[in-house]
Amino acid sequence: METVAQTAPAAGRPRPVLDPAAAARRRWARAALIYVLLLAFSLLFVGPFLFAILSSLKDNPAEWPPRLDPPQLNPANWRAAWRLGKAGGGSGLFGQFAPGAVVNFDVTYFVPEGRTPHPPEVTISRRVPGAGIGAVVPDAFAADYAIVSEVVETARKPAEGGVLVTYSFTIRHDGQGPAVDRLPLDLLVPIGQTFHSATLAPNRIERLGRVQSWNNITPGLVPYVFHNYNRVFNENYSRTTGKNLFLAWIRNSLFIAGVKVLTTVIIASMSGYALARLRFPGRNALFIFILFSMMIPGQVTFISNYLVLRDGVFGISRLFGVDTLLNTFTGLIVSGLCGGSAVFIMKQFFETLPRELEESARIDGAGPLMTYSRIVLPLARPALGAVAILTFQGAWNEFFWPLVALTAPQDKLLLTVGLLNLRRAYGAVALDWGPLLAAAIISALPIIIIFLIFQRYFVEGISFSGIKG
Amino acid sequence: MPWRWNRHVQEAVAAYLFLLPFALSLLIFFGYAFVRTVYFSFTDYNLFESPSWVGLQNYLAIIQDNRFLLALRNSIAFSVIVTLAQTALALVLAVVMNNRLRGITVFRTAYYLPSVTSSVVITLMFIWMFQRTGVMNYLITAAIVYRPVILTFLGLTLAAQVLQVLWERWRGRPAGWFEASLLFVSLVLAAAGTGALWVAGVTEPVAGVEPVRIVWLNTRRTIPEGGGWWSIPLPLAAIMMLNTWTTAPTFMLLYLAGLQDIPKELYEAAEVDGANRWQRFRYITVPMLRPVTFLVMTLGLIGTLQMFDQVAVIGSAAPLESVITLAYYIYHNAFPAGAMPRIGMASAAAVVLGLLPLIAVLIQRRVVERK
Amino acid sequence: MRSARGWRLAGIRSALAAIVIACLATGPALAQTTVRVSGWGGTDVAIVEELLARFVRPVVEPQGIEVVYEPIADDFPTYLFNALSAGTAPDLFYVDIFWAESLMRAGQLEPLNDYLADSSVLSADDIIPELLDAFSLDGKIYGIPKDFNTLALFFNKDLFDLAGVPYPDENDDWNTLADKLRRVSALGPDIYGLALQPEFARMGALAFATGWEPFDEQGHTNLLDPRFVEAFSWYTGLAADGTGVHPEDVGQGWGGGALVTEQVAAAIEGAWLLGFLRDAAPNLPYGAVPLPRHPGTGQRGNLIFTVAWSMNSASQVKDEAFQVLEALTSPEAQQWVLERGLALPSRAELADNPYFQQPTPEAQANRIVFLGASDGFVRPFKFLDYGGSWLDPINAAINSVILGEQDAETALAAAQEQLDLLTGR
Repeated sequence: METVAQTAPAAGRPRPVLDPAAAARRRWARAALIYVLLLAFSLLFVGPFLFAILSSLKDNPAEWPPRLDPPQLNPANWRAAWRLGKAGGGSGLFGQFAPGAVVNFDVTYFVPEGRTPHPPEVTISRRVPGAGIGAVVPDAFAADYAIVSEVVETARKPAEGGVLVTYSFTIRHDGQGPAVDRLPLDLLVPIGQTFHSATLAPNRIERLGRVQSWNNITPGLVPYVFHNYNRVFNENYSRTTGKNLFLAWIRNSLFIAGVKVLTTVIIASMSGYALARLRFPGRNALFIFILFSMMIPGQVTFISNYLVLRDGVFGISRLFGVDTLLNTFTGLIVSGLCGGSAVFIMKQFFETLPRELEESARIDGAGPLMTYSRIVLPLARPALGAVAILTFQGAWNEFFWPLVALTAPQDKLLLTVGLLNLRRAYGAVALDWGPLLAAAIISALPIIIIFLIFQRYFVEGISFSGIKG
Repeated sequence: MPWRWNRHVQEAVAAYLFLLPFALSLLIFFGYAFVRTVYFSFTDYNLFESPSWVGLQNYLAIIQDNRFLLALRNSIAFSVIVTLAQTALALVLAVVMNNRLRGITVFRTAYYLPSVTSSVVITLMFIWMFQRTGVMNYLITAAIVYRPVILTFLGLTLAAQVLQVLWERWRGRPAGWFEASLLFVSLVLAAAGTGALWVAGVTEPVAGVEPVRIVWLNTRRTIPEGGGWWSIPLPLAAIMMLNTWTTAPTFMLLYLAGLQDIPKELYEAAEVDGANRWQRFRYITVPMLRPVTFLVMTLGLIGTLQMFDQVAVIGSAAPLESVITLAYYIYHNAFPAGAMPRIGMASAAAVVLGLLPLIAVLIQRRVVERK
Repeated sequence: MRSARGWRLAGIRSALAAIVIACLATGPALAQTTVRVSGWGGTDVAIVEELLARFVRPVVEPQGIEVVYEPIADDFPTYLFNALSAGTAPDLFYVDIFWAESLMRAGQLEPLNDYLADSSVLSADDIIPELLDAFSLDGKIYGIPKDFNTLALFFNKDLFDLAGVPYPDENDDWNTLADKLRRVSALGPDIYGLALQPEFARMGALAFATGWEPFDEQGHTNLLDPRFVEAFSWYTGLAADGTGVHPEDVGQGWGGGALVTEQVAAAIEGAWLLGFLRDAAPNLPYGAVPLPRHPGTGQRGNLIFTVAWSMNSASQVKDEAFQVLEALTSPEAQQWVLERGLALPSRAELADNPYFQQPTPEAQANRIVFLGASDGFVRPFKFLDYGGSWLDPINAAINSVILGEQDAETALAAAQEQLDLLTGR
């Protein structure tokens, strides 16, 4: 290894030089190495997201070993789900089991040598969901309207150590009853006869291989591939108001984040301008106070803030007939009008603007308000964009304060607190990862999309906050 | 001059008007709140009865509370380690990113993904990945299974690099041992070589490896094992990894801005003086980035001392003692599940938490000034 | 879908219009009293909604009482304490036995003795005494239990059949059961006898079977009592010899999940398992038997998990709230809950209910769990007003021994130390 001591005095000595061709080759190879590095880092930062998205489609996202090819990603199953959805009388996208349905189903078993193949015993189970609304008020059962044909053997192929036997049967709707959402199916075979393949891959293999179980054999494409997403939306709605909780949480978060962006942009730009450009007694003290407030974690001050909201901000809310601002959007908005860091960013930005424009405006006789609104604000668009986007991100992801200030009723929660509820609901007895991952991914999507569209502002915002150090 | 005086008054009045909404909210929701926290810390308030003065009792209570001491230890360890780790990772990322290459912004976008996603979402994914039968353990198992292959690859890379550098030098071309362009060729050669050896059956994955079942979360294990007070609980270490991963990209952007402000002439001059890549990094880049580093570390310390979300979302998936932080301790005492709120103790702990960032920044200032 | 929603909207609108018109027409003559009722989410929301619609509103609405139901997302105790402090708490709400005592002591719950004495519908004798005791303090009754759960041994018949081992039965003691489980686990390296959830909420039932009590007269806990050590060693010992397994080792967070993997022959759970099995393993051939007897005492131990309806002591409409409470716990309402297999109601007379005679595994399992409340040493799942702080050290000890991170002696000594600090020894 060379050291400074060796190279510094050697500066005068002719150093080995690369011929242009070799130099070009090296430039290319170096760029290639950087791309390799960049790709490796991408795997680190994006890989977990991609794998979570993939796993959110699985029947059991906690399976071992974790596979990259769940049946939900197999185009053969897509085709089958589409076809079966149509056969069940629904559409290819959203299936059902309706009058007129004729569902043909094939299943193939491996039978080891020396055993007689047994046709499977077909059951359309009368399954009551264990939780949720269905457990209390069951829907119609497909079992009441389904007519299952005789199970016939349709093919037999030799295979290593035994034979592959295919059985077929048809399930019809008797035409009397209503259309049912799901057509569950259980097949039972003697032990030793193992499942090989079927028209649609089963959701579970139970009883040590004896039972193959399908939640729904007429799913249609969307409920088949996105069944966990379906669950998140279907299993979470308020019985009191009939509102879909998950959608309500998304709406609430969007609303609060939107309002906060508005208040922050207005207040931060005004305050930032005053701090950057106007002279007034106490300016330095205030600025230091703001910096101080940015350093103190929210957990230090939340108890008092909780009480302030509880008592309706010193009783002011009583004037409007509201006893408490806890568990209200108003409370959340009032307590989070504008953060110190937004003011800081705006101040930093205004300080970089040339003074000449304002000087000339002042000479023309414009007051501070006029100067601010006519001259300064229009110039501040990039900083405003940055503040807006960072505020949106902060509000969308905020967790601690909403957890304190807005915990009821269920359909008023923000998405982050709602997610914590899902984590508790699906994690109380068992960690049911399917809907949990699906919910996590849905709630990450809006902010990721916004980030992709406005990423320029994100980057600028981060840099502005660091201009001065 | 009356005109100037007038002007001043007008300006001050305008400033106060401009600042009014912000100052009001800052005063109520920060100033007043801060004072009240200090006040509550000397009372026995429990949200139901009106507070009465108890002196230093709450402070005595928390320093005798094992859980508080653990929370304090965890918070400080978490803050220091994560700040250092994320600063280092951010710097590395920024240096790699600071190349004028086609499509570099695509990568920047990709890296920033963990930073924009909410901590609740990230923590959920993380609990899932760190289960006993989760992805993390699977990757470790895979690393053990493919260890011969990986070692072969690394060995071949090393050999190819050494040979290439010697060859280049023999040809009279300048080549450091870590010459990036040669390293790329070495990697490609090693990949090809490993593939060939694998197909030929010389190196093979180890058969019959027991799946790794490290308990990351629901455990009392520590690093180092059994180190008592000075060791870090394994679940906390896992959260440290998670936090470094999510925040490093934000600070990468700060470093990137800092890097682009360093005058090119400095590097050119150093190159003329014959400084190599590492020396240029060590003696130009790092000193020039010192103000950014100060900012990054300050923001990092403040951010990490607030760590709460992860503990709340992990909930029963890990023992509370192993992950509790001061921030969570305060919440836990203010709103204990199924017991009377202990606002006094919560406030006393909050005062301690409020002091920490101030102390941290003071120490950091001192260190920076000494340099 | 869309049309249904449209109808619902239209329905709400016309209902609003009707209310407005009614108010305008009748004016202040018919004063409506509103009783606010609250509980947590999950399946409970659906149950309470149905109960209100079927059994409560028809009874109380003619008397001018309007019932508003406000289910709370999952962190209910925190919500409730906050709401009580803010004075916004509902009139009637769930109280879990686990955190009941601190509310009782704080005077936030209304004693119900006088109301019960005056009531013609509900009397203290109707309720299973063990449950009612759990919600009583110094002779005052602070809640009417709505339902409860105890623990039972659930097992997978397939695995026992495969191993040729007789099913667990009600005559098993710790030794015979351990032997059966051991023989099943011999089926293969991936098959285990019992899911060992590392919690006092499971192991505690065994500790009680030995005659151990969680608190002595001075209110201290002794984990080093040989009886507790015996139960602890039996439970964790199953992990040491591979008969039992930590649920996470089969990729599950709890015993019920482990049972569904079909790698584990048995699990100690309550009736909450049944709803989960309906979804996760509809074809699992399971059975349920009472927990094994302790060979020394010849008794079983068990834990009672129960939830009550309690009244806010600051409520403005206490008499009306009690009427709602009566309707919520009426025999008809409880019969309905039982028949749906949703929960085990708290009325003693339901023990002879025809539902329990049904031959389905679900009804039989419910029967076992129902009887568990009064068989042997049964204690409610509450620990003075310590709540989780009392459980945490014990759970940590169980977990670390099952994982093989510590031996029983060290783990128990550490837990005892923490409990000494807590209970002030």
